[in-house]
Amino acid sequence: MAVPYLKVENLVKKFGPFTALNGVNLAVYPGEVHALLGDNGAGKSTLIKTLAGVHRPTSGQLYIEGKPVNFRSPRDATAAGIGTVYQDLALNQLMSVTRNFFMGRELKGPLGILRMAEMDRIAHDEMAKIGINFSDPTQAVGTMSGGQRQTLAIARAIYFGAKVLILDEPTSALGQKQQMEVLKTIQRVKKRGDIAIIFITHNEIHSQLVGDRFTFLALGEVIGAGKAGELSHDEIRRLMAGGTEMKDLAGELAAI
Amino acid sequence: MSDRSEADRLRQESTLQRLLRRPEIGAFSVMVVIVVALAFASDFKAFNPLGLKNNIAIIAQYGIIATGAAALMIAGEFDLSIGSMIGFTGMIMAMVLKYGFTPLGIPPGLPVAAFMIAMTAALCLGWLIGTIVVRSGLSSFIVSLAFLFFLRGATEASFRIINQSTQISGLPDFKQESWFAEMLGGEVFGWIYDIWFTLGGNLNRKGEQWVSGFDARFLWWLVIAGAAWFVLSRTQIGNWIYATGDDKDAARANGVPVNKVKIGLFMFTAFCACMFAACQVFDTNTADAAKGNLLELFAIAIAVVGGTLMTGGFGSILGVAFGAITVGLVANAVFFIPWIDGSWFRVFVGTILLAAVFANERIRKRITGGI
Ligand SMILES: Nc1ncnc2c1ncn2[C@@H]1O[C@H](COP(=O)(O)OP(=O)(O)OP(=O)(O)O)[C@@H](O)[C@H]1O
Ligand SMILES: [Mg+2]
Repeated sequence: MAVPYLKVENLVKKFGPFTALNGVNLAVYPGEVHALLGDNGAGKSTLIKTLAGVHRPTSGQLYIEGKPVNFRSPRDATAAGIGTVYQDLALNQLMSVTRNFFMGRELKGPLGILRMAEMDRIAHDEMAKIGINFSDPTQAVGTMSGGQRQTLAIARAIYFGAKVLILDEPTSALGQKQQMEVLKTIQRVKKRGDIAIIFITHNEIHSQLVGDRFTFLALGEVIGAGKAGELSHDEIRRLMAGGTEMKDLAGELAAI
Repeated sequence: MSDRSEADRLRQESTLQRLLRRPEIGAFSVMVVIVVALAFASDFKAFNPLGLKNNIAIIAQYGIIATGAAALMIAGEFDLSIGSMIGFTGMIMAMVLKYGFTPLGIPPGLPVAAFMIAMTAALCLGWLIGTIVVRSGLSSFIVSLAFLFFLRGATEASFRIINQSTQISGLPDFKQESWFAEMLGGEVFGWIYDIWFTLGGNLNRKGEQWVSGFDARFLWWLVIAGAAWFVLSRTQIGNWIYATGDDKDAARANGVPVNKVKIGLFMFTAFCACMFAACQVFDTNTADAAKGNLLELFAIAIAVVGGTLMTGGFGSILGVAFGAITVGLVANAVFFIPWIDGSWFRVFVGTILLAAVFANERIRKRITGGI
C-alpha cells in the first residue's frame, strides 16, 4: 500500500487542563480527499492547526512521507508542503488579488521592487487553472465573492508548493452555487493526483460528493474512520452527529 | 447566458473614469479650490516670489511630518509623540551646538555631530515606542501619548537645568561655514528664481533680484515623500506595510513580519520629526522647548485629509502631499489676506477633516463591499 504523505500518530493536544485532542490518528494520501468530520467543538480546527504548525502537540508524532517531523512555526509546516486555507482565509480585504496572492512571498527585483506585471500574470493563470477566470488582478479582495476568495486562497497554497491542502469549512459561508464552485475546485485539485486534501465540513452531502476517506471526531477522539464505499449513508450521518442515532435525535426533538 | 464569463462583468473604464476613482481625487479637488481661492483673495500676493517661498516653507514642514504619520497610519498605528519629538530633537541639536557633548568628547559648534546625536536619539526613541506597542499589545494612541508628555517635559527640564532658559538663540550661523548646515537650513532650487528673474519677474523695489531660493526643507520634503511613495507603492516592504494595517493576523499568517514593520515605521515618524527639527534649527539658529507643539495632530489631520484610512490598510502619499499643500496654504492665508481672522484656519481644518473622514469611509465601503 502507498505511503501516506502525512501521517498523524497518537496526537494529544491539551490547553491547560482541557484536552482538545486525545490520541488522534490520521493518514492522508496524494490524490485523495480526506474528509474530516465532527460536531462543533470536536477538535477539527485544533487538529489542523497542529498540522499547520500553529499549535505544538502535547504528545504524539507527525510524519511526512514516513519521516518524523516537528513543526516549530507555521513557516516550518509550509516548508514541509502543508498549505492551510483557514476558515477566515487569511486574506487582506483592501488589497488587490495579486498582492494577496503573493503576500509574504513577493517576487522582487533590485531594491525590493515588486515585479508587478509578472505577479499579475501568475496570479491570473494559477486561478484560471483551478477554475476562476477573473478579470482584473488589481481588484480588491473585499469586492470578490466568497467562492472566488476560496479559490484565491487555494490557488495560492498550491502555487507555493502545498502537497497537503487543508481546507477548514471552505463551503460553510457560501450560497449553493458558490459551494458547487468550491467543490469543483477541490475536484480539479484532486485530479492532479499529487496533492492530498483534508476537507473539513459539516455538510454530509459535500463530504460524500468529493471524499475518498473519512475520519470522524467527537470530543477530541476518533470515533470512526473508513473509505468511501465502506461506510453507509446512515453510518456517516450517525458518526457526524458524534455517534448518536438520528431517530434518538428525532425523539429528543419530539420531547420538547 | 451560459457563454457569459466572469470577465465580461467588468466594464471597461476610460482613463478619466479611472482617475476619478483614485483615492487622491478628493484631496486634489480641495487643493485646487484652495489654490484658486487664495490666489484671487490675496490679489495673487500668495504666489508672488516671496509668497511662494513662504507658503512652500510651511507646506514642506507639514508635508515632512504628515508623510511619516501617514505611513504609520497605513500600517494601522498612530504616533502622538511627533510634536514633542520635534521639540526634543531640536533641543538636542541646539544644545550640542552650544555646549558640545562631553561624553563623546564633542566640542561645541559641530553641525554634523549635533545632527547625528539627535537623529540617533530619535531613532532609538522611535524603536522604543514601537517595541512597547507591539510587545504590550497596547493601543499606540496611549503609548505615544505617554511619550508626548514624557518628551515635552524632558525637553523643558533639560533646557532649564543645562541652559537656565527654555530657549537657545544667538547661535552662530553655521550655514556660512558648514555645507551640512547649509544642506538642512539653507536654500535650494535657486535656479527657479534665477530663471524667474531672467524672465523679468522676481524684482524688488530697486529692480534687483528679489528672492534667491526656496528653503532647503522643500527639497527634504520632496525626497522624503518621494521615497515613501516609492516604497509604499512599488516595493515588497510597501506590500507588507499595507498588509499589516489591513489585517495583521492575515499578514502574519502569510509570513509578513508584522512587528518589524510597525517598529520600523515608528522609527520613520521619529526620523521625519528629527528632519523637521534639523531644518528649523539650522535655518533659524535657534531652538525652543515649545517647538512642534500640537504638530502631531496636524500631521494626523493632513494624513486623513489626504485619504489615509484611520483604520489602516489604505492611503496614498500623493494624497497626503495634496493635503499638506491645502492645509499649509490655509495656515498662511492670514499673511496674504489681511481682513481674515487667523482663527478661521482651525475652523477650516476641522471642517475638511470631518469631510475627509466621511469621504474616506465611503471609499473603504466601496472597496470592502459595503460593511
Ligand atoms: N487556544 C485554545 N485554548 C483553549 N481551548 C481551546 C483553544 N482552541 C480550541 N479550544 C477548545 O478546543 C475544543 C475544540 O475546538 P475546535 O475549534 O478544534 O473545534 P472544531 O471541531 O473546529 O469546531 P467547529 O466545527 O465549531 O469549528 C473546543 O472546546 C474549544 O473551546
Ligand atoms: Mg473549526
